[in-house]
Amino acid sequence: MRVIGRLDCASNEPWDKRVHFSHPPSPRLRRRRFLQLALLAPLCCGRPRSAPGKIRLGFKYQPLGSNPGPLRELLASYERNHPGVEVAAEALPNASDVAHQYFLTALEGGAGDFDVLVMDIIWTREFARAGWIADLSFALRAEVLRREFFAAAAESGIVDGKVFAVPWYVDVGLLYYRRDLVPNAPRTYRELEQDALEAKTADAHLQGYLWQGRQYEGLVCNVFESIWGHGGSTWSDGRLQLETPQVVAALVYLRSLLRGGISPAAVNSAAEEESRRAFQNGRAVFMRNWPYAFTELQRSASLVRDRVGFAALPTQDGAYGQGTLGGWNLALNARSPPRNRLAAVQLIEHLTSPQANLLLAGAYGRNPPRPTVYRDPTLAEAAPQMPALLPILSAARPRPPTAYYNLVSDMLQSEFSAAIAGVRSPEAALERAQQHIDRIVGQDA
Amino acid sequence: MRNNTSIESWARMLDRWRRGATEKYQAYFMVAPAMAMLLLVTAYPVCEAAWLSLHRFILVFHDWRFLGTQNYRFLLSDGRFWTALANTGYFTAAAVSLELVLGLGFALALNASFRGRAAVRAAVLIPWAIPTVISAKAWAWFFDPAGPGGRLLWNPDASWLGTPGYAMKAAILVDVWKTTPFVALLLLAGLQAIPRDVYEAADVDGASRWRVFRSVTLPMLGPMIAVALLFRTLDAFRVFDAIYVLTEGGPANTTETVSIYAYKTLMRAGDFGYGSTLAIAIFLAALGISLGYIKVLGRVLGAAR
Repeated sequence: MRVIGRLDCASNEPWDKRVHFSHPPSPRLRRRRFLQLALLAPLCCGRPRSAPGKIRLGFKYQPLGSNPGPLRELLASYERNHPGVEVAAEALPNASDVAHQYFLTALEGGAGDFDVLVMDIIWTREFARAGWIADLSFALRAEVLRREFFAAAAESGIVDGKVFAVPWYVDVGLLYYRRDLVPNAPRTYRELEQDALEAKTADAHLQGYLWQGRQYEGLVCNVFESIWGHGGSTWSDGRLQLETPQVVAALVYLRSLLRGGISPAAVNSAAEEESRRAFQNGRAVFMRNWPYAFTELQRSASLVRDRVGFAALPTQDGAYGQGTLGGWNLALNARSPPRNRLAAVQLIEHLTSPQANLLLAGAYGRNPPRPTVYRDPTLAEAAPQMPALLPILSAARPRPPTAYYNLVSDMLQSEFSAAIAGVRSPEAALERAQQHIDRIVGQDA
Repeated sequence: MRNNTSIESWARMLDRWRRGATEKYQAYFMVAPAMAMLLLVTAYPVCEAAWLSLHRFILVFHDWRFLGTQNYRFLLSDGRFWTALANTGYFTAAAVSLELVLGLGFALALNASFRGRAAVRAAVLIPWAIPTVISAKAWAWFFDPAGPGGRLLWNPDASWLGTPGYAMKAAILVDVWKTTPFVALLLLAGLQAIPRDVYEAADVDGASRWRVFRSVTLPMLGPMIAVALLFRTLDAFRVFDAIYVLTEGGPANTTETVSIYAYKTLMRAGDFGYGSTLAIAIFLAALGISLGYIKVLGRVLGAAR
């Protein structure tokens, strides 16, 4: 750093007289300051200016993994194919709740500084209804989406027959089991219970079945899987209906797992990572979790490495289990200026193309949303366990497709938790949840 | 002559009055920006929340309808709200009383002179200095059934954070661990303000140590205890971060406090109408607590004088 002046602290002169410039700032220095300010300016105000004639697309995404390289390369390949467009990618906070709040304030406030955004599939209807994301029908047709993507994933982006979002990657609830303790994955709840009890008799320190019982979104996924496993369904005629024998049976079943000692008490406070850590340390026979856990369980630090298999979740009567569909969609900000729209849709198509699916699977372990990609031999090379997910993902079911999903889920979380922890009977808990949900959603004009 | 003086004194009085009045206006003028700022950041949001609480307002859908007192009538019959209020009351009462007793103990210990006192004083403050979210994460690991705290629980069918009843106790423990140092610090300041000569007088009178504590230390510490209680009660009543990290209000809402319920309704569910109703209810409860304390505080301070 160059010294441009000195401050005389001991002097008795007024403060402004105490600074002695060795020489006034040179014109060159002043010019440099101006340039620095000019460079900083775009950071402070609105939509950054780009080179004249060039389209600049803003892209908000959730961090995919620790290495940003492959995603950057994917975006760079888009820029190479579209010379007139540059993409400014910006990562959101790596927590789903916080990202949702960010969009709530940014989009409600009319933010137009990004064009393409990523969202949890359960938010898509809310965002579409709020008018925050644009109808993509001008470029994408619903039939195409339904043909190319997993059915439930495609439906998550289609509202009233119009395409609002395109699946980017998907997730599904799986049953993990210890191949060294259980010969085959159980198909029914009864088999799972017997296998767990047998393994526990052989080794008293072993726990049976781990799942996510903490009061949060993951609990709702676990309960829905149990409802479908009992042959139930909650969504009919555009309304959530909870007070059915199958929903009661699902809650009774989950409660019985805890009371019968099949699942440890810790399940009541466990989210995905708590279950995964316990299972990884070899403390349980079965675990319900998302596909990401497999990669973790196969790491060298894992005590169950090469001893873990996964399968579809068991059911009451042995029918093929339906896991909850999770995942993230890409959509177009409704405030995106008209001249950016075509390029933005092309960016969405580029990011959700089969090649991009393969890249995300290999580099970040994200499951492709297109069934055809699972038959691609290069997928088996990049992620050997992934092809086995095809039948499980094909059977995956969505959570209730309502614009009020967050509100509904909040009620479900507390009442499901109450039933499973034994604070209220399942019937009483479901009645309360139904009342609260009808109060808000029922008044919807 | 006489006339003259009277005119002079009149003029002088008028001048003084005028100067005083200008000074008064000047004072008003000077504090006006601060007052405007205060009104803007405190009164306006409260009024806005009160107005919102009379509506059905789902922000994202621009669903805005006047409901009158319907939200408040629902609040009175909302079991979840009353449970949350009871949880908050239990948490506040248990945490604050434990903190007071322990904090007083720490303060007395730290007030005594011993070698390394400065180091111990600094060490005691560490829990208070760690950001709550970070310490709550560490505690969540402690309470994990496989963690050190989990093994302390003799009941194998329970887990600290997953069993109703235990989860709130765990949250109270975390809060006590975190804020006892704060109470200790306040009370230590109070102890050091007690003049030496009072103790010397008690010594001369031959009072026992217990008698000195009861008749000298406690009464003279009274105002500080009241201040510590006021701070801690209001803080504990609004507790959010520690519990949110530990349990998110679960299991079965047994650790859901009023702040967590309001947050979930406002920010997660996006129901700004009923969420504001909850916020106003919290505001009124906190106001009631402060007024109650101020009354008690006034009496204690009056007695101390």
